[in-house]
Amino acid sequence: MSIEYNPKYMKHFYDPVWENFESGFWQGLKQRKLKFQKCSACSTFSHPPRVRCAKCKGEAWEWVESSGKGRIYSWTVVRQEVHPAFRVPFEVVLVEMEKEPGVRLISNLVDCEPEEVSFGMPVELCFREVTREWALPMFRKAGG
Amino acid sequence: MSLKNKACVVGIGSTEFTRNAGRSEIHLAVDAVTAACVDAGLEIDQIDGMSSYGTAGIYAAELAPDIDVARSLGIPNLRYFGQTPWGGGASCGTVAHAAMAVASGVANYVVCYRSLKPASGTVRYGRPTAIPAEYRYSYYMPFGFASPTMWVAMQAKRWMHETGATREQLGHVALVCRENALRNPRAMFYGRPLTMEEYLHSPMSSEPFTLHDTCLENDGAVALIVTTPERARDLKQKPAYITGVGFGTSYDSHSMTSFYRESIGLPECTEAAREVFRSAQLTPKDIDVAQLYDAFTVTVPMQLETYGFCQYGEGGAFCAGGDRIRLGGELPINTSGGMLAEAYIHGMNMIAEGVRQVRGTSTSQVKDAQNVLVTGGLGVPTTALILTQGN
Repeated sequence: MSIEYNPKYMKHFYDPVWENFESGFWQGLKQRKLKFQKCSACSTFSHPPRVRCAKCKGEAWEWVESSGKGRIYSWTVVRQEVHPAFRVPFEVVLVEMEKEPGVRLISNLVDCEPEEVSFGMPVELCFREVTREWALPMFRKAGG
Repeated sequence: MSLKNKACVVGIGSTEFTRNAGRSEIHLAVDAVTAACVDAGLEIDQIDGMSSYGTAGIYAAELAPDIDVARSLGIPNLRYFGQTPWGGGASCGTVAHAAMAVASGVANYVVCYRSLKPASGTVRYGRPTAIPAEYRYSYYMPFGFASPTMWVAMQAKRWMHETGATREQLGHVALVCRENALRNPRAMFYGRPLTMEEYLHSPMSSEPFTLHDTCLENDGAVALIVTTPERARDLKQKPAYITGVGFGTSYDSHSMTSFYRESIGLPECTEAAREVFRSAQLTPKDIDVAQLYDAFTVTVPMQLETYGFCQYGEGGAFCAGGDRIRLGGELPINTSGGMLAEAYIHGMNMIAEGVRQVRGTSTSQVKDAQNVLVTGGLGVPTTALILTQGN
């Protein structure tokens, strides 16, 4: 099972808006890269992005490409439709990234049945094209 | 310096709770404020302050602004007006702001209100009809992660995994709230019992939730009037003293999507709990009855933990079988039926129920309830109150 979209509504959802301090994440997605904000001074990762590093208050950031490896921290299976853009059922997952301490990402699972999901399950990044411009970072079972 | 007993709730008013109120949010608010004035024995023109909610981003429309309500009521001037943001998280905060306003002399009689009509109106809190294109939600909406039920489900699933809490334990929260509603003729679910079998066999909306884990969707408004203990002496009702107030955001706070903290439990609740008990100089053992914000069943056991009625991991067991949380138990909860079974008014109806417990007029009255804990919405910055009988 993978999330399926009704194309009629796509523009409505896949036109993200962001502030300048977040642009590294979204510009990364346009290049099919998952990038996270890393403090140049103390190496603390931050997601979603911040203006300043919460740990050292520094304002210099790097945008580091992720290895895309992570584990399932929590998830839900959506079975009741809340918007016709998304065909139910589908899984929403909270992935804890393996190489970026403290970073978790909301995403979807592809090619995975609800019964297969478990806490701590290793997953890996894959991109899913949703519009001509945008691809979203999604996850599949690692080694699958 | 403390706010303890410097202000009290002297009037409560409500419209009917219904699937279709047939009038606007402003109209409902006007009716609720009028009822609260009648209850208090106060002329409408004596109201000189308004404390209302702001939804702060998720749904831009605030449909009963203070000036529109004041204008229809013919209130000559508001010496205080203020909003507390974050939807249901605001509920007890509106009363705390009113208490600060009257205790400091900024205003004499402040009305707190909430007016909603998600059942028949345009703004629905449970199932958004329009997805906001704000940057904070760009990280969620494209993944179909688009409703409060899903957002809280993500926290619930992890909490249940960590603590071993079960669906049946959550079911007992729903059943106890329903029992209370069966004694409350105002409740949406008055006359509509719920069994464990129905609860367990209801279809999943967003795992681990079914329809019975999520609050009602209804139209209605509730208003409360806050003044000083000195002014309360000239009014009709026994005052409910505002003994403790608490606000909390904790660190790395998001609106409904605080998924990035070490624990995705309810740290904002822990902070509000600390403040509400500190300011009241009370402990959880002093609380006789609690109105715990129940937009979802799961937040009841999670709050039992964060407000210190039990240890982390014991909230599910506290609710098991329902005996400890029902009327006659060690901590009766949500005695009007709460938002699972009375009405969803962003927690304002739960504060009104707290006042009834202090007055001794609840339909599920806890005998001689001295201290009542009321809590605000979860998953967002939150607020709490302790209401107390005078001597």
